[in-house]
Amino acid sequence: MRTSKITEEERQKAFTSMRKPEVNKKQNLEVLYHIEDFDINDRPRCFLEAFAAILKHSNYRMALDHFIRLSAKCSRCATTCQVYQATGDLKDIPCYRSELLLSVYRRHFTLGGMLRGKIAGTGHLTDEKIQEMAQSFYNCTACRRCVNECPSGIDHGLITHLGRYILSEIGITPRALVVSTREQLEGTSGNTSAVPVPALLDTLEFLSEDMLEEKGVNIKFPIDIENSDYVFFPAVSDFLMEAETLMGIAAVFTATGDKWTTGTGYFDGINYGLFYSDRILERVVKKIDAETKRLNGKNVLIGECGHASRSAKMFLPAYCGGDKAFPVINIMEYTYKVWKEGRLKLDPNIVTEKVAYHDPCNIARTKWIVNQPREILKAFCKNYVEMTPSGEDNICCGGGGGTVSLDEIRSYRTTVGGKLKADQIRKSGCKILVAPCANCKKQLKELVEDQKIDCQVVGLHDLIYKAIIFDESLKVKLDAIENASQEEK
Amino acid sequence: MEALLEFARGPLFRLSLAIMILGLIRILALDLYGAWEAYRKAGDKTLPWKLIIVRTLHWFFPVKRVLHSRPVYSIISILFHVGLLLVPIFLFAHIQLWKSAIGFGWWAIPKGLADIFTITTIICGILLFIGRVSSTASNFISRKQDYWWPLLLLLPFITGFLCMNSSLAASTYQFLILIHILAAELIFILLPFTKIAHCILMPLSQFIANLAWKFPANTDDDICTTLNKKGAPV
Repeated sequence: MRTSKITEEERQKAFTSMRKPEVNKKQNLEVLYHIEDFDINDRPRCFLEAFAAILKHSNYRMALDHFIRLSAKCSRCATTCQVYQATGDLKDIPCYRSELLLSVYRRHFTLGGMLRGKIAGTGHLTDEKIQEMAQSFYNCTACRRCVNECPSGIDHGLITHLGRYILSEIGITPRALVVSTREQLEGTSGNTSAVPVPALLDTLEFLSEDMLEEKGVNIKFPIDIENSDYVFFPAVSDFLMEAETLMGIAAVFTATGDKWTTGTGYFDGINYGLFYSDRILERVVKKIDAETKRLNGKNVLIGECGHASRSAKMFLPAYCGGDKAFPVINIMEYTYKVWKEGRLKLDPNIVTEKVAYHDPCNIARTKWIVNQPREILKAFCKNYVEMTPSGEDNICCGGGGGTVSLDEIRSYRTTVGGKLKADQIRKSGCKILVAPCANCKKQLKELVEDQKIDCQVVGLHDLIYKAIIFDESLKVKLDAIENASQEEK
Repeated sequence: MEALLEFARGPLFRLSLAIMILGLIRILALDLYGAWEAYRKAGDKTLPWKLIIVRTLHWFFPVKRVLHSRPVYSIISILFHVGLLLVPIFLFAHIQLWKSAIGFGWWAIPKGLADIFTITTIICGILLFIGRVSSTASNFISRKQDYWWPLLLLLPFITGFLCMNSSLAASTYQFLILIHILAAELIFILLPFTKIAHCILMPLSQFIANLAWKFPANTDDDICTTLNKKGAPV
């Protein structure tokens, strides 16, 4: 483990782009972002050691062997990659990006590659190549759109995921991701936004008071209730930035009367491990499992967040007991279920503006959640419009793969990464864009602001909160509310 | 020449066929063994079978995807593949050869149809080659084999078509047919060791890619131990 700070010379080298200056200028990449301090000496050897260890203890080798044997280099991925479409830089073609890592695998971990390399004395991993990988893998938004378009079935998303994982083992990870994860796994607050439990409780109480005033209904956020049907893990940043989404979710549960709870032991759905390290992924998933066990809950309920949902849904079974693991559902699945059952009523006269739905990549790419939110929206938003392409072929918000957390590259995200999305939003003419994902929401809010698009970005439950119709029996008498507020005064 | 032709038609054909079949069996077996190992180690053994099957079929019959991106290129590529697969296997003259090599034959396509497929394949192959050379993106990611494979694949098609459809002098015919057979045998031999391996591996791609996301449990501990990172900050 490196303890001393990197020297000026090392920093210079770390920040030196492998791209041509004109490309950097075009991409607005003034700040490079693989910035964790790292040991510059002997990086290729460290990289290969980490690669070997990961191959030994994982299932990647099978996929890499398969991919190097059948890659046909047809370049169809080039036409679907929004980053390449925006930059026009050939190094952003997904197949090229994947080849960066596949060539290292072929040269150093296959017999044929090792022999060829030894005889020719070429192709070995160099520091420059590591540098190029670091930049390339974090230029990608990990949206996996290219995966759907590859006839050979090469999962470029998986290769980028693995590339970032190996890089993280030699200390190359965006600082913002590491700082948040450190707080989540080793900090006192235990969550990525460093929200202390008393602050959480105050926030929730405040929201409940607000909702009582607005809706005349006693809408609570149940805390630490054992034996609940659903233990709730939103992206913790929602508590700070997306209160209306949480209010909508609480309103739905109040209307249905189902038992749900938020645990004070752990209440963060965010899992940056999905973006840069399987080891982190595993640790975070185990925290969710432990908290659900502590509360003796029945289901893990993830809030409006794409990567949090995918990381829990895919990896809770992987790391926490296979088919015995807690079932994971996304809040939109729950809301859709109760709406279908007729337990949730929505007023179709409240939202009159033009509404469009943005698919978060992590829940739409495999067609997990595509139609459910659309059906709900179409039922109560009179003026719903569809953006194309959508669903499993959606265009990423431009801040996927953890890049949205890197404030230093905001200009890159809103000009390059999100360019196609901005065009799509403009074309749809929507005034309200529903983006049920904490990452997408942050990125899209910055995107519409920077691109000067007249559009409001909200979550699905923000709109549900506006339109929800409560049963009369749930309404608290107005006198009681007034009395309560007078007592407070 | 006669003897050379006999050798090419007989022992060399059987040898190249054997190399191809054994080579393909080898990579298929390695793939399946890798998949079995991965499945055994996976912490979560449920696979999205519906998605895997639907997407595999999508690419087998790429009607839905074809117009999504690069439609012209995609249609040319599909036509190229159709001829590439059908003509060598279902041409009458080839079936006679198969019969003598492996002892049994099968139904043949009419010659007229075979000719159409051959011409389509040649034209599409040339267009694909031009496309690869002229497209900046394709050019940038291409390896050497991406350029010579379409040319090599066209060689038996062009020579075969000439032999079947023109009145040539006996020596020219023999020369062309020798080139035809030798090129086909070279294709057989190289096939399992180059990107054309996708002919047998592609049907497994969606399965492999989905299985690869099924991580083994408790790798954090193992990797920390291997890399001597126990107790290190995240």
